[in-house]
Amino acid sequence: MNDPRFTHVGPLVVACLRITDLRPEVDPLTGAVARDAQGNGLSAADAAALELSLRIAGVWSGRVVALAVGPPAIDPVLRDVAALGVTVLRVSPETVDPDRGYAAELADDEQRLARTIVASLVPYGPPDLIVCGDRSTDRGTGALPAFLAHQLGAVQALGLVALTPDDTVTGGGRALIAERRLDAGWRERLGVPLPAVCSVEGAGVRLRRASLGGALTAAAAPVPVNGISPADRPEREEAIPAVRIGPTRVFEPRARVLPAPESTDPRVRLLALTGALVAHDPPTVIGPVGPSEAADELMAFLVRHGYLDPTDPEQAGTSGKGTGR
Amino acid sequence: MAEPTMADAPGPESAEFDAVVVGAGPAGSAAALALARAGRSVVMVERGPFPGSKNVYGGVVYGRVLDAIIPNWWEDVPVERWVVRRSTMMMTESQSLSIDYRTGAWGTAPYNGMTTVRSRFDTWLAAKATEAGARLLTSTVATGLLRDGDGRVVGVRTDRDHAELRSRVVVACDGVNSFLAKEAGLLPQSEASHYTLGVKEVLSLPREVIDERFGVQGHEGVDIEILGCTRGIPGGGFLYTNTDTVSVGVVASLPHLAEARIRPEELIADLKEHPSIAPYLRGSSLREYAAHLIPEGGYDTMPPLATDGMMLAGDSAAMTLAAGMWLEGVNFAIASGYAAGQAVDRAVASGDCTASGLASYRADLERQFVLVDHKRLRKAPALVLSDRVQQRYPGLLCDLAEGMFTVVNPAPKPGGLRVTRNAAAKHGVKLRELAADTLRGLRIFG
Repeated sequence: MNDPRFTHVGPLVVACLRITDLRPEVDPLTGAVARDAQGNGLSAADAAALELSLRIAGVWSGRVVALAVGPPAIDPVLRDVAALGVTVLRVSPETVDPDRGYAAELADDEQRLARTIVASLVPYGPPDLIVCGDRSTDRGTGALPAFLAHQLGAVQALGLVALTPDDTVTGGGRALIAERRLDAGWRERLGVPLPAVCSVEGAGVRLRRASLGGALTAAAAPVPVNGISPADRPEREEAIPAVRIGPTRVFEPRARVLPAPESTDPRVRLLALTGALVAHDPPTVIGPVGPSEAADELMAFLVRHGYLDPTDPEQAGTSGKGTGR
Repeated sequence: MAEPTMADAPGPESAEFDAVVVGAGPAGSAAALALARAGRSVVMVERGPFPGSKNVYGGVVYGRVLDAIIPNWWEDVPVERWVVRRSTMMMTESQSLSIDYRTGAWGTAPYNGMTTVRSRFDTWLAAKATEAGARLLTSTVATGLLRDGDGRVVGVRTDRDHAELRSRVVVACDGVNSFLAKEAGLLPQSEASHYTLGVKEVLSLPREVIDERFGVQGHEGVDIEILGCTRGIPGGGFLYTNTDTVSVGVVASLPHLAEARIRPEELIADLKEHPSIAPYLRGSSLREYAAHLIPEGGYDTMPPLATDGMMLAGDSAAMTLAAGMWLEGVNFAIASGYAAGQAVDRAVASGDCTASGLASYRADLERQFVLVDHKRLRKAPALVLSDRVQQRYPGLLCDLAEGMFTVVNPAPKPGGLRVTRNAAAKHGVKLRELAADTLRGLRIFG
């Protein structure tokens, strides 16, 4: 294999990017999120991840692969990234459906996504470092770096504000020094061995600008695409069932059938129908109590008001006193 | 497959093209399209992150110019609404008089005019150029001209590490305030009287509300041009429909606006509150506010269109037609840009990219509507922006209509001449002046 993408000697630093519309419109009435490919770009966190990848690879004389999962609409952004002298790779998602709901995307299986990304990187060799933004502007479960670290068997250091090569390491080894915010303005400094997956905040660094030559070359270049079929995906272990979200709809509680008032007097009927003469539980403050007692109080409330049937064997286990569930 | 990495990138000094087109608006993309189709190497240098990202637009795109350039363009153009109703409204503070025209023919192919979002339209047109082989360089500013020892323009300097793009011809399509045209000495450094300031608000309204209020359906749209809404400052107003927004704004003479010390947003606020406009906009919410200069000076203020190694097209060449009932710019930009691209192709083929080698550009435009219309209507801006047309005639015409339509029983109906005399006297217009302006208008527009 003579492709320089795959034969370069030196550490491999991967910038794992999430390219999305940075200015989506949200319908104030329905909450529907409308995204436009023209707004695609790198979030501040992803831009920081890319810049730190370039700096670290520069110090190590390594190479940078910038990878993003997405449809062809993200290619212009990847070309801008390629203009920086970075090898880019777009991983084609399994589902390319522009009409996919936001909630459906939110429920995507991040573990599966991590496996797809790791599989896509196989031709480039094992990555020494993967740098991600610590959050994305549209989904933001924040779980992907951890899943990537799990897939690679790498250490993870997440939510960093600084990431630099550790120049105290001798003997040809490599490691990183990372900084993370703590409360009250404190910072903690971490020694990060390799291989590692790090996520960084969008702070402290500014993404460099591409040269004219790089921009010109990238403007006309195709973006390599790696489509991963499920059959190619290595199964490191049994997949954990992921959360699935079905179609959403407006909550419409069922109508409850109430017995007709017995009286023929309109006033009494009105009082009965409106419940004006029915005693109601006043607001009650319970506590402070522990979680177990609080749960018992809630269960007792539900039983008292008929939402749970204590004689139902399936429900009895959830309402038992002192179960602590 | 070529890989987009720096390893393959040419050094800045090796970047040389047949043409560098500065600006990826309608003129620039059309020029690049013509050049790419002719097999010339061309790069578009666009300041924004994508074509149209910074463009402001307050009118209708008339697509007839696209027929010969992009066959069946309407099938994939990013249209908001096809304009089927065109209204010209004259107003005073409390009155309005409209000439309203509607036709279903404009709502079917090949259509007449459309409202569109410039960021989408410009991106669409630029994509046609890149599909044909042009290169698009975004987020890059052309900071200055490169010249050879003879002073001939041979490229542009960019803000990417001051790197240079060399070319046989530079086509400056960098808009109304073209710094390249100024640097080349083709445009004066500043001449405020040649410009108006357009300001607009984009207001959100549900699509069905727009349909109901403007009396349209589906992709049908409305364009309303307004006279008399600028507190006497030479200019006008507009209101047009997009899919689920409406754009409302004013255009005002730059020096008069400065002299009046009126903020342009005050003029928009006036227009939005006018009893003839407010019902259209009730319940809307502000989505965008934008302002932009417009070169409305017309034919007499047009700069030379070419110099050695450089040409101007679109707004940088003052090719906006502001002639009262006709307010057009994008179609003139596209036509001039395409003609510029064709002229560069001819010049490169002949090996003569001097001003004389590029002279076929102007000759070509003089055969087309671009300069024919501008030349024929060269006196229109002076008439349309004159004191009487701007400040007196809207009120005169409204009073004339009011006098004719007001029932004054038991008094007998006044004659038309009497109503006209009264209205003219009220607004300080002599019938002699009215007749002279009518004759002048007939000469210009007839």
